[in-house]
Amino acid sequence: MHNTSFPEGDFRAPVPVLTPGQGYRSITDKLTGLVFTANTPRAWFAFVGVGFSLLMCLLMALTWLLLKGIGIWGNNIPVGWAFDIINFVWWIGIGHAGTLISAVLLLFKQDWRMSISRSAEAMTIFAVVCAAIFPIFHTGRPWLAIYWLLPYPNTMLLWPNFRSPLIWDVFAVSTYATVSIVFWYTGLIPDLATFRDRAKNKIVARVYGILALGWRGSAKHWYRYENASLLLAGLSTPLVLSVHTVVSFDFAVAVLPGWHATIFPPYFVAGAVYAGFAMVLTLLIPLRKMYGLQDLITMHHIENMAKVMLVTGLIVVYGYACELFFGWYSGNTYERFMLINRTWRGPYAWAYWMLLLCNFIVPQLMWSKRFRRNIPVVFFVCMFVNVGMWLERFVIIVTSLHRDFIPSSWQMYYPTRWDFLTFFGTIGLFLTLMFLFVRVLPMLAIFELKTLLPEAKPKASGDGGSH
Amino acid sequence: MSQHFDDASLQSRPTDVIRRMSNKGLILGGIGALVTAMGYFTQNETFFQSYLIGYMYWMYITLGCLGLLMVQHLSGGAWGLVSRRVFEAAVRTLPVMAVLFLPIALNATHLYEWARPEALADKMIQTKAAYLNLKFFYFRAALYFVIWIALGFTLAGWSAKQDVDAAVIPGPEDRKFRMVSGPGLGLYILSITFMSVDWMMSLDPHWTSTIFGVLFIGGAGLSALAFNVVVLSSLAETKPMSELVTKDRFHDLGKLMYAFVMLWAYFSVSQLIIVWSGNLPEEIPFYLRRFSGPWGWVSVAVLIGHFAIPFAFLLSQRIKRHRKLAARVALFILAMRAVEIAWMIAPMVRHEGHNGPNVFDFAAVLAIGVVWLPMFFSNLGARAVVPVHDPYLKEALSHDAH
Repeated sequence: MHNTSFPEGDFRAPVPVLTPGQGYRSITDKLTGLVFTANTPRAWFAFVGVGFSLLMCLLMALTWLLLKGIGIWGNNIPVGWAFDIINFVWWIGIGHAGTLISAVLLLFKQDWRMSISRSAEAMTIFAVVCAAIFPIFHTGRPWLAIYWLLPYPNTMLLWPNFRSPLIWDVFAVSTYATVSIVFWYTGLIPDLATFRDRAKNKIVARVYGILALGWRGSAKHWYRYENASLLLAGLSTPLVLSVHTVVSFDFAVAVLPGWHATIFPPYFVAGAVYAGFAMVLTLLIPLRKMYGLQDLITMHHIENMAKVMLVTGLIVVYGYACELFFGWYSGNTYERFMLINRTWRGPYAWAYWMLLLCNFIVPQLMWSKRFRRNIPVVFFVCMFVNVGMWLERFVIIVTSLHRDFIPSSWQMYYPTRWDFLTFFGTIGLFLTLMFLFVRVLPMLAIFELKTLLPEAKPKASGDGGSH
Repeated sequence: MSQHFDDASLQSRPTDVIRRMSNKGLILGGIGALVTAMGYFTQNETFFQSYLIGYMYWMYITLGCLGLLMVQHLSGGAWGLVSRRVFEAAVRTLPVMAVLFLPIALNATHLYEWARPEALADKMIQTKAAYLNLKFFYFRAALYFVIWIALGFTLAGWSAKQDVDAAVIPGPEDRKFRMVSGPGLGLYILSITFMSVDWMMSLDPHWTSTIFGVLFIGGAGLSALAFNVVVLSSLAETKPMSELVTKDRFHDLGKLMYAFVMLWAYFSVSQLIIVWSGNLPEEIPFYLRRFSGPWGWVSVAVLIGHFAIPFAFLLSQRIKRHRKLAARVALFILAMRAVEIAWMIAPMVRHEGHNGPNVFDFAAVLAIGVVWLPMFFSNLGARAVVPVHDPYLKEALSHDAH
């Protein structure tokens, strides 16, 4: 569009979001072809196989939980909160990337989001589903959970404690889930109509047709669609901050050293985005290869996501530094003990150093452009971040609880096999849902990608064009 | 609108506008200086507290400009190109700020409880004496200024060189700005955090909050953006800025100001909710002091003026895009920054007697301005008001055509 020539490798030069040479037809063919095909990639069966097996473990673990009660978990006194909350926070955090990509990047007019937004949004929803399992089953009798968690006028005049951030969590997460689902579904409608029109099988066409809600692509439809997307993006943007802020309050409003820190809200939000981008890359790198999407999800996307990871990772490390310094500076005996226990003398100190390795040291590779554009290196870093962000919650939760104010109440925490089965089971659920989504729905926003093509842009009248 | 900016018109300097702004600053600051001088003789006890308020006010504008200067080198974008020279002019006042720090350094025992010899009787202060002692305090202050001046003058110096060297090879040569800005931002964030602890939080050595640094990094960004909007609004009265700082640019900057207002509110309310819920004896006095007595109304004013009013006005696209209206909102934000900084500093040190806000706190803000502003405007007038030969200038500005 502009005549300015940028030097080779300059980051501010306009980069084509998609590899040149794509057309309306090739994009539609490619992306509908992924679903309407008899040749599902073998790798797909492998992933679903692993995911589904783990999902069965989840079912087993949860069934046993319902039969025996939460005593089968390693939770004890004083560590009354462990894997359940660690995994809840881990999954909720992962979901944040989807919201950030589809809402915040939409408002910032970042074109590159279009290739990754659909699958990232799906990831958000599935991550929230996995997250919700933990607190709901931690109630012991999940069929009563709604009755305990939601405030409703009842004859006994019993209400949940509104001063507890746990009840704020119920509102924050349910709002988040609702808005994410509506946003995702709204975005799917035009593509579902494409699928309806492309389907050869009558029943399949019928199903997609019902899901497409009568979309015909008229100007009026598009006008309303654009308005709805903008409004939903506006609604989602505060959710990027609010959900993890409320999650951080679960800890920060308590007076426990290691939990009670005012920096928790922004530090948790940064951590959530960090973990989320790592997970998006973890999923997209194999998917891109499996379905041959290199022209649509380009190195440009991977590099940008790696940059977001680097920046949010550094913010998280700043949070660790503040915790260390202010813990010491507070002069409080318990705070200082917590630091020594967490980083040096305590039985879980190894977890803290592993956490620094995963979240601080390894991701520094992303400073180098060469590494940001090297897929195996990026994938390697993402795996470290996935583990690191889990360890971060383990360190915060377990090391703060296991040695509280009174030495006589100190107790070690060891997760049981049921804790692990439940955790890996949710990973199975996540994989299964993700790969089913890829199999039956368009994993890239077809109509949005087309707006990136040169022929979608009105011809500019040269460089000297006027308003 | 013409898209062809020739060198001569870009190089032209709006000296009249700059002189007019400078004079306005001098008059306001002069009044402040007079009142402050009166304060020196009548309010001996609180004089240096007021001085600190005035000093921190300008320090955060200066540092906010340093931070945004590095951010715009990394992010690119037309908003950064039109603001760059404003940021650079502000950053180049840092040596003066270092000199203006001397009254604080020399009166540290007067201002900071922990710096007095008898403070070591306090057990809590004793436990942190390794950090809170005068020698280390001076060393850190010197270190901060070295970091900031090195970063600021390196970037501003290279930028000035771009103006002279007409034949600049874009690209590789230009990369050095980003190579400094990336790691520079890391150093900047750490130094501004510790500076906020040293110069402000340690006024009450019994109180801590881990979000304190973040709160003031956000505050510094807001101060700098608002200041930048006020200056650009005047510069845009004449050429060349009238053609460069278009409605779109004010819109961009307005959105950024809005984001920083929200961030500041988010950080502040996070601290409030956490401290309030914890209700610990070492933390809650911070709010108890500010929510009752003479500071109670100031707290309400901060809530309304620093958050609600700018929030409401900046929602409007018309205001954000309007050169004069945007500048008025920005001026209002700048005024509220002074209130917020006074609200933060004064209750930490004024425990008994006349412990409320006093007029000298705000006079001191103007008084430091009488030194800072002429320096800023002479810096601004000394160079072209945009980085004329920046390889990205024409590219960024041509976006207006679409």
